[in-house]
Amino acid sequence: MTTALTHPPVEAKPASWFTGRSELIVSVLVLGLAVFLTVGTVTMAVPEGSGTPGPQFFPTIVAGLLYTLAVLLAVQVIRAPRTIDGDSNVGLSSDLLTDLGDIDTTSEIRVVRSSVHPTTKKRIGATDWRTTGTVFGALVGFTLILQPLGWLLAGAALFWAIARALGSNRPVFDIGVAIIFSSCIQLAFSAGLGLNLPSGILTGVLSWIN
Amino acid sequence: MDQLGLLLEGFSVALTPMNLLWLLIGAILGTAVGVLPGLGSAMAVALLLPVTFSLDPTGAFIMFASIYFGGLFGDSTSGILLNTPGNSSAIATTFEGHRMAKDGRASKALGTAAIGAFTGGMIATTLVVFFSPYLVKLATLFGPAEYFALAAFAFVAISAVVAESVVRGLIALAIGLSLAMVGIDGPSGAARFTLGMPEFLDGISIIVVTVGLLALGEVLHVASRIHREGPAMSIQASGSPYLSWREFTAAFPAFLRGTGYGLPFGAIPVGGSEVPTFLAYGTEKRLAKRRGDTDFGSRGAIQGVAGPEAAGNATAGTAMGALLALGLPTSATAAMMLAAFQQYGMQPGPLLFERSADLVWPLLASLFVGLVFLLIINLPFAAVWAKLLLVPKHYLYAGVAVFSVFGVYAIASSMKDLWLLLGIGVLGFVMRRFAIPLAPVLIAAILGPLAETELRRALAVSEGDLAILVSSPITASLYSVMAVAIVISAVQHVRHRRANAAAQAPISSSAL
Repeated sequence: MTTALTHPPVEAKPASWFTGRSELIVSVLVLGLAVFLTVGTVTMAVPEGSGTPGPQFFPTIVAGLLYTLAVLLAVQVIRAPRTIDGDSNVGLSSDLLTDLGDIDTTSEIRVVRSSVHPTTKKRIGATDWRTTGTVFGALVGFTLILQPLGWLLAGAALFWAIARALGSNRPVFDIGVAIIFSSCIQLAFSAGLGLNLPSGILTGVLSWIN
Repeated sequence: MDQLGLLLEGFSVALTPMNLLWLLIGAILGTAVGVLPGLGSAMAVALLLPVTFSLDPTGAFIMFASIYFGGLFGDSTSGILLNTPGNSSAIATTFEGHRMAKDGRASKALGTAAIGAFTGGMIATTLVVFFSPYLVKLATLFGPAEYFALAAFAFVAISAVVAESVVRGLIALAIGLSLAMVGIDGPSGAARFTLGMPEFLDGISIIVVTVGLLALGEVLHVASRIHREGPAMSIQASGSPYLSWREFTAAFPAFLRGTGYGLPFGAIPVGGSEVPTFLAYGTEKRLAKRRGDTDFGSRGAIQGVAGPEAAGNATAGTAMGALLALGLPTSATAAMMLAAFQQYGMQPGPLLFERSADLVWPLLASLFVGLVFLLIINLPFAAVWAKLLLVPKHYLYAGVAVFSVFGVYAIASSMKDLWLLLGIGVLGFVMRRFAIPLAPVLIAAILGPLAETELRRALAVSEGDLAILVSSPITASLYSVMAVAIVISAVQHVRHRRANAAAQAPISSSAL
């Protein structure tokens, strides 16, 4: 799945064939999932005496569905490219909701916001890969350092890094906020409710850790 | 009236000081998560699940009950004040609610929403108490074919009828089914899609899927646009939240109409409360037109908030009934409650009322108490909750991310779960980016195992004869309703496409 992030931003080239067709990556991923299911189903070690239909029955249906959908999506996207607009992530049928809610385009306040930034005039729909990548990197980094450094430091580092990436401009103040936040979780859940959190390099330094 | 006695016994458990404390904490936490933009009640349950790990089951479920409703009380706040609904179930409330806020009646809109949520929840919970024995009896008539039909109904409704694009809805559904297949296959014991890693034998936890898709996916989505978006304009909530007698008499029928729409939809798995809230909004709008009410659509009418909000919570109430009595989750939030039950080794369904009656009735009783608590902490203090919207976005989403990784790690202290969470978070981000609906993934991941097991059981009994799937009156009627829904949906799409083409609208591509 990480391929979607390292993928160079297609919007860089103006009006290339891929404009509005970047969703083809989803087709490829769906196809990949279908192939994975197929391989897993064919090579599955089926225990003896499993009844019919056995454990391979349902995966076969789902894999077939995925192949069909990958092709259908690709055809749709190639035939009718669409640019990603503002906040269309609800994913619900607008036709259905329009009929149910008696919505007309003039009187309802548009919940979907403008697709152009009011001051910078940048297109909002275009993904800010740098910020997204930084946040994702912070999450990967957290997962790597959690065991060796312990929750308190790793959690604080994650909070600080994401707050910074999302536009906080008080890095020193944020260190305090981050440490207080992760200490509160440690205190409430580990010392208070007895959940197990890794203490890492701070083991034994403070009595309420671990 | 056996139920009354049992319910009173339930109250005696729910009203002990310790359980009241859990109820209050749950109500506060649930409302807080609900108020935060982008997080709804499914997230509230998922994120707060680890909080309950060290409680006894009764205390834990009492807390869940109030978190569940608390999330629904809170989610209209950001819609009304910021015009950005926190959850898709709050969109319909936003239309008139934000108009009222712009007109200087923000507190009144928040108060109406709280009373609406209370009314809908109360009526729905009362019905659940009195009808649950009949639901349980109905459930005993259900065999493998009927359960499969129910699951298939849910799959089709959520991915093909309710979704914007049928292909994308079905893709989400198939992804959810794939996630559900990982691990040991129950009936045969075969290890499936584990890549040879023993960590995956237990399968992928639904909590990891929910937190990844909804919370981390949202954090990544916000990251992809936060530097390009204009700041949202917040309206200060001022004035009295209490309704005058005239306003109350205007809103009261709307509360009841909204509840009427919400009740049946809680029991049908179409992904939650979007459909009933829009139905309620549409009804109020048509009625306002007939009355000649000029406030509706200009200054904002109180009925436009009352109807949808009551519908949303009525749906949640009956969804709880369907979950407890049938074992059928009808929304993402109900699916999270199911995951919570499974965490404690319990399986909702007809047997739950027999085997765990000492848990079910306190849970139902605490729904009533929780609703009263929520009304008390929401109606007078709505403006205080709105202060949560002042938390800067960068701290808010940093906090959400840290709490997500904490919650997932706390389930099993497993690094595998954390990596999985990251992967599913990226999946959620990609799906948001391309407007692929998320709800079908959750419904498929939670109902997938049930659908598969029951399908195989039915076919094993009939020795492969597919006719068994449609042979009983229950399955036949379920499939007919499904067919009617598909036909209506197809007609609707064609009609709108024609209308769009006729208007030569530039947005015609979005109808796909």
